[in-house]
Amino acid sequence: MDQEISFNQVTHTYQADTPFAQNALDKVSLKIAPNSFTAIIGHTGSGKSTLVQHINALLKSTFGEIEVYGRQITPSTTNKNLKQLRKHVGMVFQFPEKQLFEESVIKDIMFGPKNYGASDADAEKSAVKAMKLVGLDASLRDQSPFDLSGGQMRRVAIAGVLAMNPEILILDEPTAGLDPHGHKEIMDLAQGLHDHRNMTIILVTHQMDDVVDYASDVIVMDRGQVVKHGTPSQIFADPKWVYKMHLDLPSSGEFATRLIRAGVPLEKTPLTIENLADEIVHLIQGGNHTDE
Amino acid sequence: MSNFLFGRYLPGNSWIHQMSPQSKLMLSFYFVIIIFFANNIWTYGTLSVLILFVVLMSGVSIGYFLKGIRPLIWLIIFTVLLQILFSSGGHVYWHFGPFSVSDTSLINGGYIFVRFLLIIMISTVLTLTTTSLAIADGVQTVLKPLKKVHFPVDTLALMLSIALRFVPTLMDEMETILNAQRSRGVDFGSGSLRHRIQAAVPLLVPLFTGAINHAENLSTAMEARGFTDSEHRSKYRVYRWQKKDTISWIIFLFVGILILFIRNN
Amino acid sequence: MKDIIQIKNISFNYPDQPILFNNLSMNVHEGEWTAIIGQNGSGKSTLARLIDGLIVLKSGQIVVDDLVVNDDNIFDIRNKIGMVFQNPEDQFVGATVEDDVAFGLENRQVPREQMHEIVEKSLKQVGMWEFRDRIPANLSGGQKQRVAIAGIVALSPKIIILDEATSMLDPRGRQDILDLVYKIKQDNHLTVISITHDIDEAAGADRVIVVNKGSIVEEDKPDNIFGDISKLKSIGLSAPFTSQLIMALKKRGIDSPYQYLNDKRLIAWIKKLVSTK
Repeated sequence: MDQEISFNQVTHTYQADTPFAQNALDKVSLKIAPNSFTAIIGHTGSGKSTLVQHINALLKSTFGEIEVYGRQITPSTTNKNLKQLRKHVGMVFQFPEKQLFEESVIKDIMFGPKNYGASDADAEKSAVKAMKLVGLDASLRDQSPFDLSGGQMRRVAIAGVLAMNPEILILDEPTAGLDPHGHKEIMDLAQGLHDHRNMTIILVTHQMDDVVDYASDVIVMDRGQVVKHGTPSQIFADPKWVYKMHLDLPSSGEFATRLIRAGVPLEKTPLTIENLADEIVHLIQGGNHTDE
Repeated sequence: MSNFLFGRYLPGNSWIHQMSPQSKLMLSFYFVIIIFFANNIWTYGTLSVLILFVVLMSGVSIGYFLKGIRPLIWLIIFTVLLQILFSSGGHVYWHFGPFSVSDTSLINGGYIFVRFLLIIMISTVLTLTTTSLAIADGVQTVLKPLKKVHFPVDTLALMLSIALRFVPTLMDEMETILNAQRSRGVDFGSGSLRHRIQAAVPLLVPLFTGAINHAENLSTAMEARGFTDSEHRSKYRVYRWQKKDTISWIIFLFVGILILFIRNN
Repeated sequence: MKDIIQIKNISFNYPDQPILFNNLSMNVHEGEWTAIIGQNGSGKSTLARLIDGLIVLKSGQIVVDDLVVNDDNIFDIRNKIGMVFQNPEDQFVGATVEDDVAFGLENRQVPREQMHEIVEKSLKQVGMWEFRDRIPANLSGGQKQRVAIAGIVALSPKIIILDEATSMLDPRGRQDILDLVYKIKQDNHLTVISITHDIDEAAGADRVIVVNKGSIVEEDKPDNIFGDISKLKSIGLSAPFTSQLIMALKKRGIDSPYQYLNDKRLIAWIKKLVSTK
């Protein structure tokens, strides 16, 4: 059994027959391997969010099939069958704290598991676990989520998704508006879920540094199509192409292009600070430097 | 909420776009009133021709209007059915207890349907060709006489304008929250009534919390931008009465008089 | 150089909450770009609101361009300060782009003919004139922030306060807005205060004030502040890119005489190293 996510010629049209009609996805075919950490990048309006909403069937394709871990979704799949699928695909939306509604943190986190039929006792057990996982102090369990800080609210929302024990976790700009410390904590959490719990992580992001630091695969979207799918180093190898896609290089790559423009003859586009430092050292030591 | 058109202005430069909002607003009211004077095929026909002409002049495609009807379709069908089943007179084709279907009731049902269509079309023309701010301004002008009795017309107009401006924002937010809760296993729009009401809580609480947040931030921003009260402000937009308004009024008044003549008395 | 904003021994707390500022003092120099950095919840945004008189001070005094912030001066002070807030959606009052830019002018009862002139000029300055009849729902976050900036430019203030104005934008939108504000600052000789947790944004400032838990940790030129990575990390901030690169080079035996350099100087230094190998 190939347990993966695959899209076969998927098209999605928004608001067909109106002046706003547009193909948000245009014959997209792709495969995402199980237990991969895949980043989806592309400028605003390129179809990233539409793409991921198909993975847990919040949107159904206008044409084409999708297969998620052996479950098929076609334009004619009924809503009843979709609910079971959604249990396996956790989705953390942008600013997920906006979805909180319960009177206490624990109740809000229990909401998902209970919707999928867990008993109160089981739901609570998963909720307590999820709180620990996201680093929420147990003392917060009976507090109103609306009294917490923005960063804590976001973790409650993420815990609410994790409590359903999904196999696939989709994160749509999970760090938007957070300070560097909060940013790192959320990204490290995603990495931990990937490394230690074998989750498939799909990250929609504008932060190229995160792509390089965390992702093993990258999908580049442009005008509703997948224009490149590869490792970070393959994606960022050609700075000109990256700019043409209205994307940025990671900070190190960005800095390297400025160095090159200033006349420092770097050879490749480095992806991380360590790469960049290595290359600079290599240049400084010139021909004397002969390892590798 | 892709087929929700209210508050979605379509920029354009058509004849209808250029009319002053207060006369568009008043003409829409006037049109709704004369609809209720229509009672035969000629009167409904005349009004349908007029509205098609208006739609044509607005430069907005007709399919768009039909989309606007979709959310109201059940209300329309329900009313039309009531009309068909409960009105009496004429040649009876079928009857069962208090229900009956006759040629008169079928015709009345058809009229009710056209009436709905006309009202939806005129209000859709108004909202598609007029910015929310212009509608609020129109209301302000129309209500101006009430200022004499200390009715807060300006404040009301500003409130209305901001409320309309936030409609698309809140609709988008609602869609996101719907999706978020759906991924947490909520079934919206299925199951018993009790179940449906319960399912609304995880949607409504975040929506209201969000709206309150918007309101708080917005009032801070307005204050920072020097807002004190809605009376002591100058106006960026002034909608002057134009030739187009006069011509439109003449056409509409003429149609109104025509309706009075050709209706069954 | 004149201190265009003087904050003198202020204390503040929100009702039923612990003290946020206790006897805090600081100054902002006229014509400079001052970055106020700190973690979320460190009180940065409250500070901006106190300066603009949007929340009332408990004790101490704030002076803006020789005017004490109090009820009598509040409107004169708001004429001097333009604020760009974090959420682009929540400061867009008008139905369309031009109406929104006019909002502040209407509040000040500027005559209509003048308004039209000013709105056009301001929108052209931020590159949004072609979008003048768009509604906010059809604009990106960055475009909305541009409109907010046009609304400020229209009122010709002396000070612009960016209250985490770029934190909800993507990196490209962020840089665009910063470049725009920088250009407007230079063209109109303004003072800019940017409240942020984006270290690379702060690294471009003339002066940086680090706030943590309601008090000032440091107040200096970026060069002196960004040398100490561990200190920044201890208060939840990251080090600027350039400091991280200097560290990485040091680890490889390339010692820099400096802890921190801005982009341009670091590039120049590396170039020199490479060419004199």
